[in-house]
Amino acid sequence: MADRIILTIGTKKGVFVADAAKPRRSFALRGPFGPGIPVYSTLIDTRGTPRFYASSCNPFFGMKVLRSTDMGKSFTETKSAPAFPKDDGRALVNIWGLEAGGDKKDLWCGVEPASLFRSLDGGDSWDLVPGISNHDHARKWQPGNGGLCMHTIIRDGNRVHLGISTGGHYLSEDGGETFRASNQGVGAGFAPDPYPEFGQCVHKIARPDDAHGRLYMQNHGGWADWTGPGGPRPDIGVLRSDDYGHSWRSIAKGLPSDFGFPIVVHPHEADTVYVMPLEPATRSCPGGAPAVWRSENGGESWSRLASGLPRKQSYFTVLRDAMDIDRLKSPALYFGTTTGQLWIGREGGEQWDCLFDSLPPIYNVKVAVV
Amino acid sequence: MGPAPTITIHVPGPLRTYCAGAAQLSISAHTVRAALEDLQRSQSALYRNVCDETGMVRRHLNVFVNSDNVRDLNGVDTTLAPGDVVTILPAVSGG
Repeated sequence: MADRIILTIGTKKGVFVADAAKPRRSFALRGPFGPGIPVYSTLIDTRGTPRFYASSCNPFFGMKVLRSTDMGKSFTETKSAPAFPKDDGRALVNIWGLEAGGDKKDLWCGVEPASLFRSLDGGDSWDLVPGISNHDHARKWQPGNGGLCMHTIIRDGNRVHLGISTGGHYLSEDGGETFRASNQGVGAGFAPDPYPEFGQCVHKIARPDDAHGRLYMQNHGGWADWTGPGGPRPDIGVLRSDDYGHSWRSIAKGLPSDFGFPIVVHPHEADTVYVMPLEPATRSCPGGAPAVWRSENGGESWSRLASGLPRKQSYFTVLRDAMDIDRLKSPALYFGTTTGQLWIGREGGEQWDCLFDSLPPIYNVKVAVV
Repeated sequence: MGPAPTITIHVPGPLRTYCAGAAQLSISAHTVRAALEDLQRSQSALYRNVCDETGMVRRHLNVFVNSDNVRDLNGVDTTLAPGDVVTILPAVSGG
């Protein structure tokens, strides 16, 4: 079968799947699967026969994990969803991150309240990862506006990076056995200490494939005018690491706002990174004019990409997992909005078109070439 | 304490897939808590939809004994009598 561009779209009312042939001229949409139930995380697992996963956050009956083995034509529940041991005292609220592990059926899952689970059988059974879930800091993390969520899981050989809101960035260098807070240079705007050991409200972390040690972070910015204890904290929102996340430095200069949620890296150019700056108060783009901002030099400077996007009176939010980029030679960006539009930015975001304009509020967008 | 009374649990439509399609389950239990414990043993998939990992009834579910919400009775310690109907319902949503 010819390669297809597959999108999984997690929404307030279930998961949708869209696909297109390589030219990406038009996408066919199917769904919603798990209808009526919010989906905050999806995964297109391309190891072997493709499998699609979606979390299904049923407000009445608890969390489910949905799995498709037929390219998103149907989804069924896995045999179980992550659950805390009975004597733990915590109860699962939501699933925020699903990532592929090392072996074919190895899955990692970040949840709310912030904890990590792992499945070695493709999602049918799950075990708590104690090194982070029972970390000394875990009971001290505080929920942000979205809840106390572990939303980012990045595997890099024996390293595992985790993003927690609000907990910060945690790093394992022994395959996930032990973790330590690794937030040198990561600011916090809502605590007297501007650079605490942990407790930062990390929004998303991204890692290029081919730049050793490089990571990008969208942190909770918007604290330039703070006048309370600790003083103002400008430019703490967009950061870069070149030492595997041991330390971070700001790359926010030149952006209209250092607040935002998603951060995405070009699949073939480690210096090319994309963010969507938002006004902190409204969580919408400055002036009601949506734009993705791109740096092609690792964050030294930024340019605005808005051709085809609304020019005014547009107040949607793009959430942390609602932007992704495909891996074609000239990749396309995709983002979904809280007002239900799904946009494609062809030629690396140079030209934007709305693929679907009346979906439910979008929480998650993932893309893969399958 | 005498033998546990036989009661009926009415299963809402969305949860019947977790108990082989049954709309009703007949069990013996002195209290709602004992009825839930019975479900945990005999219908574990159904139970996980009704109670979270800590054993609490999920926040947005209501449990009725006949026409009374157990919240207005004695919670999960509400005692059951022969022939009682325990109904599990999602809380109203929307608006």
